Amino acid sequence: MAKGFGDVILELSEQDPRVCGVSCDCWGFLQPLAQRFPERAIEIGIAEQNLIGIGAGLAVRGKIPFVIGMNPFVTMRCFEQIRTDLGYGARNVKVVGGYGYGLMYAGWGCTHHAMEEAALMRLIPGMTVVMPADGFETEQTMRAIAAIDGPAYFANQGGNLLPDQPEEQREFTLGKAVRLREGGAATVLSTGPIAAEALRAADELAAAGKPVRVLHVHTLKPLDAEAVLSAARETPLLVTLEEHTVIGGLGGAVAEVLAEHGCGVPLRRLGVQDVFAVMSGSHADVKRRHGISAEAVVAAVNGER
Amino acid sequence: MNLSDLRDKARRIRAGVLRIAAMSDCHTGGSLSIADLLAALYFHWLRVDPHNPGWEGRDYFVLSKGHCVPALDAALALRGFFPEELLTTHLELDSILSGHACARLTPGIDASTGSLGHGLPLGVGIALGVKMDAAPNRVVVMLGDGELQEGSNWEAAMAASHHKLGQLVAIVDRNKYQTGRTEEMMALEPLADKWRAFGWAVRDVDGHDLGEIVAALDALPFGPGRPSCLIADTVKGKGVSFLETHHMYRLNADSLVAALAELGEGA
Ligand SMILES: Cc1ncc(C[n+]2csc(CCOP(=O)(O)OP(=O)(O)O)c2C)c(N)n1
Repeated sequence: MAKGFGDVILELSEQDPRVCGVSCDCWGFLQPLAQRFPERAIEIGIAEQNLIGIGAGLAVRGKIPFVIGMNPFVTMRCFEQIRTDLGYGARNVKVVGGYGYGLMYAGWGCTHHAMEEAALMRLIPGMTVVMPADGFETEQTMRAIAAIDGPAYFANQGGNLLPDQPEEQREFTLGKAVRLREGGAATVLSTGPIAAEALRAADELAAAGKPVRVLHVHTLKPLDAEAVLSAARETPLLVTLEEHTVIGGLGGAVAEVLAEHGCGVPLRRLGVQDVFAVMSGSHADVKRRHGISAEAVVAAVNGER
Repeated sequence: MNLSDLRDKARRIRAGVLRIAAMSDCHTGGSLSIADLLAALYFHWLRVDPHNPGWEGRDYFVLSKGHCVPALDAALALRGFFPEELLTTHLELDSILSGHACARLTPGIDASTGSLGHGLPLGVGIALGVKMDAAPNRVVVMLGDGELQEGSNWEAAMAASHHKLGQLVAIVDRNKYQTGRTEEMMALEPLADKWRAFGWAVRDVDGHDLGEIVAALDALPFGPGRPSCLIADTVKGKGVSFLETHHMYRLNADSLVAALAELGEGA
């Protein structure tokens, strides 16, 4: 079982006295830290712009703050603060989308859809951007970004683990995509927890005699361009799958690599197709309606539109 | 409408919130705390037409604390914007009701909110538009107290008094909790003085006393040529003892019955 955010930040704080946490009405995430090192856990209220500025200031003073808010708001409300104070400022601040990645808060409406989080963060020079699939990758991400000097963003995932992926057999290196299934009919690239749907599609396709490679891209920046290019050389179709707009996230990033390298391989980008997901319904309903599902992957691999 | 009828509307708004909370994840705390205010607004003060939600002469109501849309949905249904039976479709596939106020799905809602700190700037804009037209429409923005920690509110507060928006009203649901206790997380007091310092005419009310609320609304605007701020002292989760201070609460069949019974309603 993976450790949750609260326990990992406590572990990092015990190892390094510079690590601290700042919450934007997410105090629960900092409870373990607050109990052990009360002076290193700070609540600043519902104020994302202030959150980032305060993080930048702490970094000026040599601290390593993890600043945490809700994914859509901590990436959008304070985008300029992140871009300028953390990016331009080259500050060692870790921005945490604590809860509400992607389309998770489906029926709560478009205000709560973080379908631009990866694209926005990827725009910023020097930013490391990670969309972990599950608790295992979140834990690894936190350790990895704490060890680099510079701004980073990740979308926190709770304790859930990807199915059929025993922790002891898994690997995690920042910036390196992971192959979760092998097959030659196509490559399905995923980012974030939707990797589980990529696996489900792969199993279905394998059973139908069309095994596909599943390349899980947890780090969107720096992107593992080499893994994308190998997939383009070795399989005849690439399908990207993300709970995100197809613009600027995984689909956009893969398209950029393929185009720059003159790869002629077809690419299908599954994700939100440049619309707002204006609808009421469950998380599964919203994903299904927007073609972000194992079924959509299977259809794409089978050449259906 | 007399006070006892208004109290009945408030009770039915609360019952609607509880039925929604038995269906889906629901921000019960901040929804129940505004039920009396919404009853007074929708059944005493706001000029709206349920048969013509887009009527140009309407008063505008912006629920800036958009997570409390269950209470607004219940008030709109009671007021006749859509059938009350629809309340229990909240969050169902293709319902016209959304988990946060959604102007694109729900009749009677003018502003899609849910990201805190958007309502007051929007209200300032609507009021400026109304002023350009020399029209009589009034604009009410309902704010959470925790929400006031967002800086955008204070930028808008400054602009509203600078532009002398006498038709603009901010109502602060001062329930003293956000996800935790507001004064512990980021203190707001002295809150009335802050609004006064930004040029607003301020009045306090007991946000659960319909007599006081109605009297305050009837006294608007509180100062000539100035925006008005009504700070409503409320209880988060008001009306159901075991929901008090909770931000969210998912009811099951038994707790729904118990909660409705506290309101004096059958399931
Ligand atoms: C910009 C933004 N940041 C964070 C949130 C998450 N959030 C939803 S409700 C809430 C607490 C709101 O507290 P308050 O304004 O006091 O509302 P109430 O107590 O009336 O529910 C928070 C932090 C949000 N919706 N929008």
